[in-house]
Amino acid sequence: MIKVENLKRIYPSKVPVEALKGITFEVEKGEILGIMGRSGAGKSTLLHQLGLLDNPTSGKIIIDDVDVLKLSDSGKKQFRLERLGYIFQEYTLIPELTALENVYLLSWANSKNRKDYKKAAIECLERVELGHRLHHLPHELSGGEQQRVGIARALVNNPKVLFADEPCATLDSESAEAILKLLTELNKELGQTVVMITHEPEDKRYVERIIYLKDGLIEKEERTVL
Amino acid sequence: MLKNLRISFFLAYKSITRGRKSISIALVVIMIMIFILLGFVSSILLGVTDAMNRQMIENMYANIVIEPGEDEDYIVKAPLLQRKINNIPGVIGSAAHYIVPATFTYDENKDGKDVKTALWTVDSIKPEEEIRVTDIHQHMVAGEYLEESDRQEIILGREISGGYGAQLPIKSLGGVKVGDEITLTFNNGVQRDYGVKGIFSASFPLVDIQAFITEREMESVLGVHNRASEILVKIEQTGQEGRYIEELRRIGLVKEKIHPWTDYIGMLSSVIDSLGKVRLMIAGFCLVVAALVIYVIIFIDITHKRKQIGILKALGLGKGIIINSYILQALFYAILGIGLGLAAIHFLLIPYFASHPLVFPLGFVSLVMTKNLLIFNSLVLFVVALIAGFIPSWQTARENILKAIWGR
Repeated sequence: MIKVENLKRIYPSKVPVEALKGITFEVEKGEILGIMGRSGAGKSTLLHQLGLLDNPTSGKIIIDDVDVLKLSDSGKKQFRLERLGYIFQEYTLIPELTALENVYLLSWANSKNRKDYKKAAIECLERVELGHRLHHLPHELSGGEQQRVGIARALVNNPKVLFADEPCATLDSESAEAILKLLTELNKELGQTVVMITHEPEDKRYVERIIYLKDGLIEKEERTVL
Repeated sequence: MLKNLRISFFLAYKSITRGRKSISIALVVIMIMIFILLGFVSSILLGVTDAMNRQMIENMYANIVIEPGEDEDYIVKAPLLQRKINNIPGVIGSAAHYIVPATFTYDENKDGKDVKTALWTVDSIKPEEEIRVTDIHQHMVAGEYLEESDRQEIILGREISGGYGAQLPIKSLGGVKVGDEITLTFNNGVQRDYGVKGIFSASFPLVDIQAFITEREMESVLGVHNRASEILVKIEQTGQEGRYIEELRRIGLVKEKIHPWTDYIGMLSSVIDSLGKVRLMIAGFCLVVAALVIYVIIFIDITHKRKQIGILKALGLGKGIIINSYILQALFYAILGIGLGLAAIHFLLIPYFASHPLVFPLGFVSLVMTKNLLIFNSLVLFVVALIAGFIPSWQTARENILKAIWGR
């Protein structure tokens, strides 16, 4: 599903910073891949390149058989909207929109049928057990609930790949566990490929394989048992 | 395309209805203030110009002035000409005047001491036809207007009398009052005494340096009949003078000089031109300030929403949707500001200045708010808001996604 070849990202400055020094790996369709490593290892940089939020210095990324780095800006935007889902580290909901509106904004932007987009958003919110909080504004929701809205938003266009950048970083352990459990359940149910940065060693139990990064390179890989 | 516009509208609507009220209120108040300021300064200056023009038309020259032809002292057969002129559709009336220079003498104590003398011109009028053409009769500050039968009576402008709040007392008769007697020595040597029947003031020095006696009296002084030094013509539609001048030529006024009132503006034209330039400069400054203020407020608002914009982009929403949503917000605030500004102008400022006009040396000045001015100001503010909404949103929307989200 995802093929990464010799991916490099150098941030230009007086002393150029090599955040990714040539990474190569593949992710199978439907797989849950964890990315671990110390702070500054290049985890977020890698996810940003995969999620088409940044442009790598060199290398190749194939997602769903598309050489995504060859896409134009608008092509990348459309690719993100249609085939990728992104769950951010912090709560990133639009404060003026209700939970439902935050989710259906994306299905609306991607929909061809005007009536379907709300239905899809409600289904996603019900799937993350927020059917009873559809019309609440973000500030009326707990941190865990907000992150679940973020997951629903990432899922609403039925993406092929879901990227999650430390989705539980700002949550208490109970909420964090619930979110990770939810992600694995959704993966099983919907068959989406998930690439997730995780920090906590105990999170290993929610992923199938882990790539350990160190100084912008893959240090090692590890298979886990889900 | 239409769907994207609907999403922009949706985002703008939610931002306005659920966003920070303090920013919304600040933007609307600023839009109102700018709209009022734009209109207010222009309308005051237009009011000044309008007051000057009205003084010229209503109290001095009417719309058209007919003067004798080259080498002629008078217009002959004036009553016959006036009948023809008055029959032209759209002509309200005409008034024939004799204009004669005269020395005015006022001996207050009739003892030959402290005698005041001044040189002015005196005009003759037929009071009944004059009131159809000029408004001097409405500006009597003391005494009464002339009647057809008056012979030894004169009405004086305030600046000639020197009393009743005159602003140029040095050149005046030093305080002539109604009932006083003055002596006029006309340029043909005829000398006559007149009782001051009334004093008028239109609060405009050029009007208030006039003096009037009846036509019958003037003809006896000059020993002429049915002639005129000038004929003033009042028409229904100011601005159509050219058309009426052509008509006057057609009915036989070929030798006579015919001028629209604007030919007499003289030095006032430079004042009017300067006021026009001042108006444009102030309007220009107001617009620049408006654009900057709106830009800064929207910029601050958008800066607070940089992260949101980055996230929307990261999730796959197009830049166009984001930019349009901010432009729509700016336009909403502009429309609200324009609407409330219009209401404030119509229901507060115009009625207030109509009942409390500003006092200028050229008379009372009220706000002159023309439809064109309001439409122009509305459009200008609309465009300013559009640009001020577009630039910061465009700047932020084109920013790198990660920089927008994480601020680095």
